[in-house]
Amino acid sequence: MEHGQDLIQRAAGPMTRRRMLQAMAASGIGAFLAACGTAATRSPSPSAAGSAGATAAPSARPSVGASATPGATATGAPSPADTPSPEPSAEPSAAPTRPAVTGGFRWANWVGYIDKEGGNRFPTLERFTSETGISVEYNNGAVNDNESFYTADLEGPLGAGQPTGWDLVVLTDWMIQRLVARGWLETIDASWMTNYPQNLKEEYRNRAWDPDNTFCAPWQSGMTGLGFDRAITGDLDSIEAFWDPQWAGRMTYLTEMRDTVGLSALRLGFDPATLTQEQFDQALAEVKRAVDEGFTRQLTGNSYVEEMDFGNVVLAMAWSGDVQGLLVPDQEKGVQDFQWVLPKEGGMLWTDNMAIPKGAPNKTQVELWIDFYYQPDVAAVVEAWVNYVCPVAGADAEMLALDPDLAQNVYIFPTPDMTARLRDFISTDLETAQRWEEAFADAIGL
Amino acid sequence: MSWFRRHRSATAYLLLAPGILYLIVFYLYPTVQMFLVSLWTGNVQDGYALTFNFGIYPEALAQYNEHFIRSLIYGGAATVLTFLIGFPLAYFIAFQGGRYKSLLLFLVIAPFFTSFLLRTISWKIIFSDNGILFGPIRDAGLLPPEFRVLATPAAVVAGITYNFLPFMTLPLYVALEKIPPNLLEAAEDLYAGRWQRLRRITLPLALPGVFAGSLLTFIPAVGDFINAELLGNPQSQMIGNVIQARFLRVSDFPTGAALSFILMAAIIVGVLVYARVVGTEELTGGGAL
Repeated sequence: MEHGQDLIQRAAGPMTRRRMLQAMAASGIGAFLAACGTAATRSPSPSAAGSAGATAAPSARPSVGASATPGATATGAPSPADTPSPEPSAEPSAAPTRPAVTGGFRWANWVGYIDKEGGNRFPTLERFTSETGISVEYNNGAVNDNESFYTADLEGPLGAGQPTGWDLVVLTDWMIQRLVARGWLETIDASWMTNYPQNLKEEYRNRAWDPDNTFCAPWQSGMTGLGFDRAITGDLDSIEAFWDPQWAGRMTYLTEMRDTVGLSALRLGFDPATLTQEQFDQALAEVKRAVDEGFTRQLTGNSYVEEMDFGNVVLAMAWSGDVQGLLVPDQEKGVQDFQWVLPKEGGMLWTDNMAIPKGAPNKTQVELWIDFYYQPDVAAVVEAWVNYVCPVAGADAEMLALDPDLAQNVYIFPTPDMTARLRDFISTDLETAQRWEEAFADAIGL
Repeated sequence: MSWFRRHRSATAYLLLAPGILYLIVFYLYPTVQMFLVSLWTGNVQDGYALTFNFGIYPEALAQYNEHFIRSLIYGGAATVLTFLIGFPLAYFIAFQGGRYKSLLLFLVIAPFFTSFLLRTISWKIIFSDNGILFGPIRDAGLLPPEFRVLATPAAVVAGITYNFLPFMTLPLYVALEKIPPNLLEAAEDLYAGRWQRLRRITLPLALPGVFAGSLLTFIPAVGDFINAELLGNPQSQMIGNVIQARFLRVSDFPTGAALSFILMAAIIVGVLVYARVVGTEELTGGGAL
């Protein structure tokens, strides 16, 4: 739904917004923008990058962060499409320096995945804009699901050699692998960067499908494990609970094949990172049994959060940040006690990465953003809000100053013991991945 | 004499042209395209190629016959339920509505002002295991512990019924509203009882409305997937869910396309049989008058 709205906005958005800004600059009615409810803050034009184009900007800037429709553009910017951004004339050479650019970039992200204030203000993005002059057209929730974003937004244009309209997308490891295999990603030029190459945590380096970290930069990681209402289930620490008939009809598995099959594999003593076809078959057979015997009430994406909140579900295959950040026990009901635990057998680790689709017109702006995010103090602010695992080294030290409690938070900064129990799901070739997805869909009644 | 007078038939075609053009561009072309997609073979790694693999049709039907049958049953049950609820409703509005007719009709359509998705999600809140409806009953100890409405086939059928009720009610209302009151008066004069009047006069005259309403309900209901996804469980997924999963989850476009065409064919055959049974004369209203 949000996605559809976004499509409409994208179709009608840029021109309308620009016309509106022009109209505002002419008439000086700042409230006009707010009334129309489309764009929000117009960033001041970059002073460093030259005064050209800065004529209309100051007067067009609304005084308050105007509200926007849910899921809509946050930092209204001159759309990249209609602001030709001069590429840096001199490529960074022997002594790489920060490239100078003007214009903004368009970013498709998952909902609730960056620090947010009030209605639709994103403080970290605002800080980036004020420091660099680069505006960000941030779409909160444009990505709702890897596969459907791929089908709806990427496959068509990239298959035809066209730009997608996005400069930055955030997608999970296995989807990035598919895009790398297709040759559909721009490489990230880190030669001039001062933060990203240094501050990327060790465990994200030398990933088989992107050994030099040139195709994508990790944005957040998350863990998949046991989410439960301790008031009802008591303490749990084993994946075995998902196959315990006691909770039949009151637990949910995830529709994400790699999470559900991964946990099933861990329960059987297999390592998801090196899963063989036979092991996959056995792990899937156990999932199928649980589905057929009615253990699983439903298979869900994020919606297990509501189900737990309503009390329909007391045990869920859950993502660490959700239980931590979204499941606030309802004081009226009084009795709920939501917990997230990394099972003793281990849990799944996945990473969502920032990547630049082939042909994106504002690649350099995105690279500047990536290096900006990899400053520990910036990452700490984002983590404090999203509660997922941080890929930036040094962010925990920064967090200590920001919020000592969060710095101890194992959901954001897992302990070495936890890290040792976390597993990636094997990166197979695309054909195998598709076969497994199909077998999984069959097993869960689809 | 104007050109249009002299070329009457040409005028008719000219008037039809925009509609026909629209259908060719936005219906016929995508349909043909989708049919060709169903005949592809391949996978995401090597890509897909058109190989005219007609074998996919029997394969897809065999693999998902359970989902097809389930969809037809759920869709059919929901259609019957919407009729049972919608007929008294439309009858009341048409004959007893008086000056509140417009308001009542507006109320029937009112739920459409909210998004389909939101309406269905709100059901999850109402019928939650410990929600406002079942919470108190459960607390009173009147419900077995394993009792639930959500994530059951019953919830799916009920959700479809609720979401498509206006599609049944409005055509029924239009048909009932057209019945001349003097026919009923005449029947009364001839000593027809209430039940007889309903069965011999009202129902036959409302048949075009029943036909239109049941088609408007049944066709989208069979292909629905939102209700099964939100209110169902893995055992109550419908063919729409499978088609969606084939396209968006597995990226198996040929099977998804083939299933869509099988569904389309099944519905067309069903509708033709239904039209034959109900009879075409009654549909025009001519037979009964």
